Amino acid sequence: MRKTYGNTLPGMKLSDLSGKLIVVEGTDGAGRTTQINLLKGWLEERGHAVLDTGMTRSPLAGEGIRRAKEGNNLGRVTQSLFYATDFVDRLENEIVPALRAGFVVLTDRYVYSLMARAIVRGMDPAWIRSIYSMALVPDAVIYLRIGVDELIPRVIFSRGFDYWESGMDVFPGQDMYENFRSYQTALLREFERLSVEFHFETVDGSADVKTVFAELQQKILRIVESDSRREYFSKATDELAESLRMKLEESWVVRLREMRSKDLQILPRTENLSSNGNGHRIA
Amino acid sequence: MNIGSNLRIGPFEIFDAVREVAESPRQNGSQAFPGKLFVVEGIDGSGKSTQLSLLHKWLESKGYGVVFSTWNSSPLVKDTTKLGKKKKMLTPATFSLIHATDFADRIERSISPLLKAGAVVLCDRYIYTAFARDVARGMDSRWVRELYGFAVKPTVAFYFRVPLETAIGRLVTARDGFKFYEAGLDLGLSDDPTESFQLFQGRILQEYERMIPEFGLTVIDATLPVEVQQAQVRQIAKTHLDRASELRVRP
Repeated sequence: MRKTYGNTLPGMKLSDLSGKLIVVEGTDGAGRTTQINLLKGWLEERGHAVLDTGMTRSPLAGEGIRRAKEGNNLGRVTQSLFYATDFVDRLENEIVPALRAGFVVLTDRYVYSLMARAIVRGMDPAWIRSIYSMALVPDAVIYLRIGVDELIPRVIFSRGFDYWESGMDVFPGQDMYENFRSYQTALLREFERLSVEFHFETVDGSADVKTVFAELQQKILRIVESDSRREYFSKATDELAESLRMKLEESWVVRLREMRSKDLQILPRTENLSSNGNGHRIA
Repeated sequence: MNIGSNLRIGPFEIFDAVREVAESPRQNGSQAFPGKLFVVEGIDGSGKSTQLSLLHKWLESKGYGVVFSTWNSSPLVKDTTKLGKKKKMLTPATFSLIHATDFADRIERSISPLLKAGAVVLCDRYIYTAFARDVARGMDSRWVRELYGFAVKPTVAFYFRVPLETAIGRLVTARDGFKFYEAGLDLGLSDDPTESFQLFQGRILQEYERMIPEFGLTVIDATLPVEVQQAQVRQIAKTHLDRASELRVRP
């Protein structure tokens, strides 16, 4: 049975969410999106159905957030709650149904990024944690850790400094570069704190794409295919049990039934074997 | 008059205020601000909006700088709420969150700065509306209360108490048909909008009753004549304004 961080939303059934929920976290420019695209293709090749989702992609609030961010008047509490609305819309209408259908859900950021961003903007950490207490506990949180110094060249040579990624709303009066530094440093500090609390699996995000991808593959394989491996083994065990049961039935069981009670100690053993999965019992 | 349009408060002031509010959600008394915050609450058809607009007229005639803020009116958020309602995309959780987002925008950009500036702010519906509706929709009551931890505590929260039948009688004569979420049709209590509305409002009424002692709501008997209720409202408002005569913007 899947768990939440303490609060369950009305109408959300936590049983039968058999899919896997894998979170890729990291600051802006850590390479999350690149890795998720690679992982999606790779997992689909291996035969897994994959849903990828990420912040502001909800049909309900995505557009509203984008519009609100165009202006200069999106407040900090409002921002935090708008993102929470976006998250819950995706949680209820995308993530949970996909998990119920057995999908591997790859999410580009999760509540941890939302918490970090809110806390850096001065929100009470207890307040923001309480809001996200209805989030599902994922199967893994992979954190692409990268220092500000490695981050800056990546950002400069790709899309340049962004108003919000530079926390221009948090540190007014400095230039984009200084702000990017201060804001991302504050975010990283918050991520370090969250990584302990929420058991992140940290991957060195400053390594090249291939190296990071290989590490992610390894981690994800363990989660995604542990079940099918267990299934394979349990099937093999069942087959073995079945053949043993047949042999026992043929040669031993008839005779055993006739034996005295103290000699029947062997029976529970056969029962254990035969009840392993296939439901057959010895008459 | 609209004081809000002339106000520019630097981000850091809001930044600090938010931290302070968030860290002590329940203790953020209105006394921290020179302005006064009067809010009206009650089920649909309780007559609260009529009473608030009469209070508004009176305060203006007395020369106070009065600003009105209604539920669900944030220019940044209301389009999203409209979209969610129109396409019936809202679940109890997203219904709750989008309304909290709307309220947060009004608090951050209007209510809070105005109270700091010394205005009298009047709110038609406040956090208690959210508590009543969201809990009636099945949200955890502690979660919802925590969600609104950033709210400013009102100077007075008037609760217009009215029996369900009276309120519904007023509404049925006043308009035809209920909207989907207004009637609580998302809860599947009944397929008939009128019946669903009654059941849903019944639940909301129960929540309001629970909140009277919890938040010290000021109860006004909304079955009394309009004039009598208004006299009580003005009397109570006056006791809070007497101590704040400096709020007057004109004689």
